[in-house]
Amino acid sequence: MKNYKMAWRNLWRNRRRTLITAASVFFAVFFALVMRSLQLGTYDRMYKNIIESYSGYVQVQDEDFWENKIVDNVFEESNELKQLITNDENVEGLIPRFESFALASSGSRSKGVMVMGIDPEKEKLLSDVEEKLVRYRLTEEAINSLKSENLPGYITKNLELFRNNSYASSGRLQLDLGMKEDDIEELMPLFEKHASVNNGYFSKGDKSVLAGDRLSQYLGLERGDTIILLGQGYHGHTAAGKYAIEGIVKIPNPEIDNKIVYLPVSTSQQLYYANNMLTSMVLHLDDTGDDELQATIGRLDKKLDERYRLMDWKEMNGTLVQQLEADNKSGMIMIGILYLVIAFGVFGTVLMMTAERRREFGVLVAIGMQKTRMAAVMVYEMLYIGLIGILAGVGASIPVIIYGYHNPIHFSASLAKAFEEYGFEPVMAFQWIDSYFIYQSLVVAIIVLIAVIYPVVKIRKMKEVNALRA
Amino acid sequence: MKVLELNNVHKVYNTTHVEVHAVNGVDLDFEEGEFAAIVGPSGSGKTTLLNMIGGLDTPSEGKIEVNSTDLSTLKSSAVIDFRMRNIGFVFQSYNLIPVLTAKENVEFIMNLQKWPKKKRDERTMELLKAVGLGERAHSKPSQLSGGQQQRVAVARALASKPKFVLADEPTANLDSKSTETLLDIMEKLNRDENITFIFSTHDARVVKKARRVITLEDGKVVSDETRDK
Repeated sequence: MKNYKMAWRNLWRNRRRTLITAASVFFAVFFALVMRSLQLGTYDRMYKNIIESYSGYVQVQDEDFWENKIVDNVFEESNELKQLITNDENVEGLIPRFESFALASSGSRSKGVMVMGIDPEKEKLLSDVEEKLVRYRLTEEAINSLKSENLPGYITKNLELFRNNSYASSGRLQLDLGMKEDDIEELMPLFEKHASVNNGYFSKGDKSVLAGDRLSQYLGLERGDTIILLGQGYHGHTAAGKYAIEGIVKIPNPEIDNKIVYLPVSTSQQLYYANNMLTSMVLHLDDTGDDELQATIGRLDKKLDERYRLMDWKEMNGTLVQQLEADNKSGMIMIGILYLVIAFGVFGTVLMMTAERRREFGVLVAIGMQKTRMAAVMVYEMLYIGLIGILAGVGASIPVIIYGYHNPIHFSASLAKAFEEYGFEPVMAFQWIDSYFIYQSLVVAIIVLIAVIYPVVKIRKMKEVNALRA
Repeated sequence: MKVLELNNVHKVYNTTHVEVHAVNGVDLDFEEGEFAAIVGPSGSGKTTLLNMIGGLDTPSEGKIEVNSTDLSTLKSSAVIDFRMRNIGFVFQSYNLIPVLTAKENVEFIMNLQKWPKKKRDERTMELLKAVGLGERAHSKPSQLSGGQQQRVAVARALASKPKFVLADEPTANLDSKSTETLLDIMEKLNRDENITFIFSTHDARVVKKARRVITLEDGKVVSDETRDK
């Protein structure tokens, strides 16, 4: 009989113990994968939000701009510079930005804001601000009107939870309110009637602005209202302007949503008296993977003179990257603890399997089975337990992760507010099946293999005559 | 032809306070085809002697040659290999592999020796029939009685045609009828296959069947009687 076959039969001598051990491996793999997917997916989403709503993957800036974000640290948007950059094989386009700060006021309220001059068309390649225009807002008035429409009970209840929330898509609104598939067709016209927001987008050269949703709520702005921006312009000019609100945008990153005002880039240049100047150019890249991104920066760095600085998204979002890396480490420690507990469980089984079969080992050696072969049978047994657990864990986690990937967890009410206070979007997303599946499975496999060292050593050192007396 | 030779074999166990002489200067020879019983009271050194003959334990002093091979000169893995090819074991408590059927238990050693499947199957069935268990070839040990399990153990011990079989109290857990059957089977196999059988036993029924009876007391051979049968 082959070793693997004998090992398989040995497994089922004590069916319950085998299943319990395999179950402990299963739960370790399942929870580790789901936790890891949730963790990595949430990080990815946060990075994606910040990259797509603000920094982009790589920016070209004036060499001093990042340390000192004043409008004097700008550079000229020359064709020569643009040509030089777009000649790179990985650069598909350039997205101009004129970014500064200003004091925004409307009525009796004012607030320090981030002014972002963008090219309305080119920006669609990156942050696509137009897609973020608020379509629905659950204001007090909207909720009261909706309630008068005899809505299903669960919608009425959920409306209260999302009071004052804004939505850039009907899908997100339906998700938050838990709208049932069958009710969507009937309910959405009511939301269009009572909660829709009339927003518009600006074009190149328009003297209008788009404001972040949270900022607009703070300043009490709606489309058609006026906002006054006051700041420091280029070379000591006073930057002051009065602009109509063309639209309200919902930016996923709450911190940015709370302070962003978008202007067409030319309008922003005029405001700051910096015609044809830019604070940055975001590179629209073909391949945004880490390796190719660094290679692109390396190539461009050689071409551009010292007045320019190339920054990648990690450098520009250093605080977030550090925060998430710290969180990642703590997550890994948690998974490590989970593995440790499982390792002791598996080791306990190995210990029992070895102790209760000591006499049998003695008999097998007595009748002529080599110790190495016996050890191989034990290794197979543990590998089977590990494999059953790992495969079941992977198998069970895949549907959960796929479901989670397509349906991120959106927090609501006070939990959402807690997230937002820390500047995070109140959403936990799952990462798609990736290399972490292999790593986690490999770690569990290694734990099982480490656990099997004990019986292997025990068998090697076994004295047949003592084992037969056991 | 001598299959086994023991010269001045001693086994001393060092316990915490005293040295125990389990086997004390034993000299014995066994010829091919013998049917011998080693008898003696508990603690007389029967099992220790059997373990040393089988290479499961090593003598503190003296030499044991099996088929002209001194087992103490072999490495551990070589001893196991030697045992597999030359010595069959029958234990008091059967010690069949619980996850294997009777047939698989019997062919286990042939498997280890990489016998071809056809030859293996033939030998297995031949032995199972010889011990009267041809019909129970596919039963697991848990589905067999104690006597039946011990018969499978005998078939297993003989499977690879060893030079001799060591049986440590093989009938201790069996009832009278099973003991009789087992002894008849072993005696028949001893005659048919000319395989040497060495028993350690307390059982008078085994002693009655044996053609040679060696009596041990305090680790020493006090009598060695050969009978004509």
